[in-house]
Amino acid sequence: MSNDFELRLQQAKGAVVRLREAIATVIVGQTDVVDQVMWGLAAGGHVLLEGAPGLGKTLLVRTLAQCLDLRFSRIQFTPDLMPSDVVGTNVLVMDAAQRAAGSMFQVQKGPIFGQVVLADEINRATPKTQSALLEAMAEHAVTIAGQRHVLEEPFFVLATENPIEMEGTYPLPEAQLDRFLLKVVVPNPSEDDLCEVLVRTTGRAPAAPPRVIDREAVLALRDMCRDVAVAEPVLRYAARLVRASDPTVSEAPELVKRAVRYGAGVRGAQSLVLAGKAVALCEGRANVSFDDLRRVAKPALRHRLIRSFEGEADGTTTDSLVDALLAAVPTRPAAVEAERPRAEARRA
Amino acid sequence: MSIVSGEARFQPLFDRWAASVRRRLLARRVLTGLAVGLALAVAPAIVAWRTRHGALRPVCVSLGILGAAAGALVARRKRWSDVDVALWLDDRLETEEAITTAVALPGAAEEDDFRAVVVTTATSALTKADATRVRPTVLRPLHALAPIAAAALVVLARAPLPPAPVVAQAPGEARVQLAQVEGLKRVAKLAEARARDPQQRERLDQIARDAEKLRADLEKGMEKREALDRIAKLRDAIAAERLTLGEGEKRAGLEAAISKLQQSETTKDAAKALGDHDLEKMDAEMERIANAREQRDREEAKRTLEDAAAAAKAAGAPDVAKALEDEKKSFEERERRAEALRDLEKAMEDAGVASNEQKSEAETLDRKGTDEAAKKLADAMGKALEKLTPEQRKKLAEKLAKQAKKGGATQSDPQDLKDMAKDLSTPEGQKKLEDELKDMADADDESAEAQGEGQLGDAEQGADGAEGDINGQGQQPGEGQGPGSGKGHGEMPIPLPGNGGSNDASGDGNGSAGHHHDTGTGPHNGHTNQVDADSLRSRARGPISHAPGMPGSTSGWTPGKNGGTANVQGTGGLTAAAPGEIDGVDHSDVPKEYREQVRQYFQP
Repeated sequence: MSNDFELRLQQAKGAVVRLREAIATVIVGQTDVVDQVMWGLAAGGHVLLEGAPGLGKTLLVRTLAQCLDLRFSRIQFTPDLMPSDVVGTNVLVMDAAQRAAGSMFQVQKGPIFGQVVLADEINRATPKTQSALLEAMAEHAVTIAGQRHVLEEPFFVLATENPIEMEGTYPLPEAQLDRFLLKVVVPNPSEDDLCEVLVRTTGRAPAAPPRVIDREAVLALRDMCRDVAVAEPVLRYAARLVRASDPTVSEAPELVKRAVRYGAGVRGAQSLVLAGKAVALCEGRANVSFDDLRRVAKPALRHRLIRSFEGEADGTTTDSLVDALLAAVPTRPAAVEAERPRAEARRA
Repeated sequence: MSIVSGEARFQPLFDRWAASVRRRLLARRVLTGLAVGLALAVAPAIVAWRTRHGALRPVCVSLGILGAAAGALVARRKRWSDVDVALWLDDRLETEEAITTAVALPGAAEEDDFRAVVVTTATSALTKADATRVRPTVLRPLHALAPIAAAALVVLARAPLPPAPVVAQAPGEARVQLAQVEGLKRVAKLAEARARDPQQRERLDQIARDAEKLRADLEKGMEKREALDRIAKLRDAIAAERLTLGEGEKRAGLEAAISKLQQSETTKDAAKALGDHDLEKMDAEMERIANAREQRDREEAKRTLEDAAAAAKAAGAPDVAKALEDEKKSFEERERRAEALRDLEKAMEDAGVASNEQKSEAETLDRKGTDEAAKKLADAMGKALEKLTPEQRKKLAEKLAKQAKKGGATQSDPQDLKDMAKDLSTPEGQKKLEDELKDMADADDESAEAQGEGQLGDAEQGADGAEGDINGQGQQPGEGQGPGSGKGHGEMPIPLPGNGGSNDASGDGNGSAGHHHDTGTGPHNGHTNQVDADSLRSRARGPISHAPGMPGSTSGWTPGKNGGTANVQGTGGLTAAAPGEIDGVDHSDVPKEYREQVRQYFQP
């Protein structure tokens, strides 16, 4: 049984590796972004991608959908987009036979009914339309004309947004941000990566990426992710990290106390652990480590820290706040922590 | 590999590593405690060494043992749990918390696929673990204190103790031990001295007892200052005893007696001596009068003594009266002896048997009038009588018989002369007369009060001598006058003009610390020029008052009396009473003799 499980772990790790490689055939660089998207996929959460236009966010999501052999739909958010444009609506039936059968309306499903949904430039729509995604993301179901429709699993929303400082954007409400498991910041490519992008995009169109994982494999991956073991000290570390993000507690670092208005809540801790499990799974491990939590801390917490006026005024970023948390909160008990530098020195 | 076997392998493997980690942590804390304890022990060891408590130095090492025990106790209280050890192992082996998960995750491995994998991973990591990488360090820089402190403790334990600090003794702290103090024996003889009354007897006995006790203490050894203090008290007590005659309530009697004695020119000096409480001097004065040839003076003196005794008795001073009566008796004895001697001497001279020595002593008796002169005369006459031939004896007897018929050359009893003449007629009688003369020479005619006074004086001198003995022995370094210069203290206090040599006795003895007696042998051959009376330029020419001294008064506290109050208001203690208040202060004149002293001081 254990051997079978180890085999399944290795298969899962292999699938992730294959998926990463397939994406890499289209996306140049951005390995961290790709990894974080993988974690979101494995954990069963939704991912918000933030970056300037032209950094390949949409291409990444499209490529992922192609590699997963899942039904892909795209919603281009614009200021005049209506909620019904997202979730769908009832339309009048024109077919006489159907009308004779008593059905005057039929459901016209919106793009939300895809399995990999790209909510492109989500912050360009009005908050009302943005909120249309809430039920779908949280409950994997939508209600059209009073009738609830369950979305087909796996349901994976990948939203992109431009930085909120840009013209014509609406900041996402905190309630909706909270629904995203991870917020991935897409950085500008390096010089080498940019050269490679130029080579690939200015020649002939590249071949479509291969489909490496089917729907069942994705569901199995998500299923296994929940089983990854987490030791109590690791859980406590996650709890301490999240508690320290609350400026009202004594353990919070000075920067947090000054620059944060609301810290990450319970959903933040859940996201931290779940994403940590995804990291362990993607690396073929059966348990979560402190390092897993530290790696996912930024994508899992950065969109859950609400900065204070002072924090915003002095330009404190949420990433620097997470860095402060990671620096201030010890991973292990004090006695063990005290021994570590001596051991390191001895090794050196 | 089955799950069960993986679980079975993991736990003992983990336990072994955990024990190893905990042992090293324990060893480190014990070493830390030992180092701190030993380091702390150095301080008390230094203190013990400095304060010369040598036996305590090894005990200080127990602080190190205590420190080690405390370290073990702390290690036990801070013992790492299994999870702590697992976290440590995960960190050292970089196993991504697999060991921690295997230890901390509840449930059996066979029920949980993931835990089984984790246990397998952890077991594999522990199996391959490198001991040097996993074990915590035992030695710390702080532990270097242990050997250093131990070495310091050994050095301190073996080091010789520093010498005791020299503490300078306070003056008089030196101990003095004297086997024999002759002066105190003289003081102790006061127990046998004549006492005027039972109260004086008690006081004299007390002084004698104190002297004996001091003598015994000095034999054992005692502090010099205490010895000197007790000597001083003895001297004070003796001095006070000499002043007890006619003191207090009897003062008026004494004053009356002095007044009577002063009324006669003959006894004026005796009055002064009595006023000074110098009964020996008074006795000497009366002795001079008693031995004098002038009968009128003797009669007047006897009468004055009788009057003075009566006045003293009337004024409530029986002791003064008794002393004066004793003095009168003594006076009469001396008078009779002097008369007899003079009659015999006259007869011997008339008979031509007087020796030159006898004649010389007779002149001395006439001139000085002392008992000593009378005794010497008696002695010389006895010797002259021994040499008489029978014819000379016969002739002397005839002369004496003739004097008896005339009534005596002096005022002596004619019957006495007849008896003497009769005695000289036979050799046995002559021998008897010689013995009587010897008895006269040896007789002590001093008055009882004068004898007592003399004994007190002797005791006082004894106390002085005892003080000298103590001072002579009780010197201690630093108490003297420093190293002697070799000249000693021979210089004369007043420089006098002289022709030769130096006036200061430049002794060449070796001076030493303390009161070194000068044995200098420097030249003393200077001389002072003769003072020419005509050249005397300065002379006191103060106004001379022949009147008695000016009256004065003294005030002193008196003991309270039953029923008396401190003052008119009766509000306070006796010591708060002012002069003139009832029973508070006794008012008395300044003693006349003192005033007389002052007056005479200014007399040229």
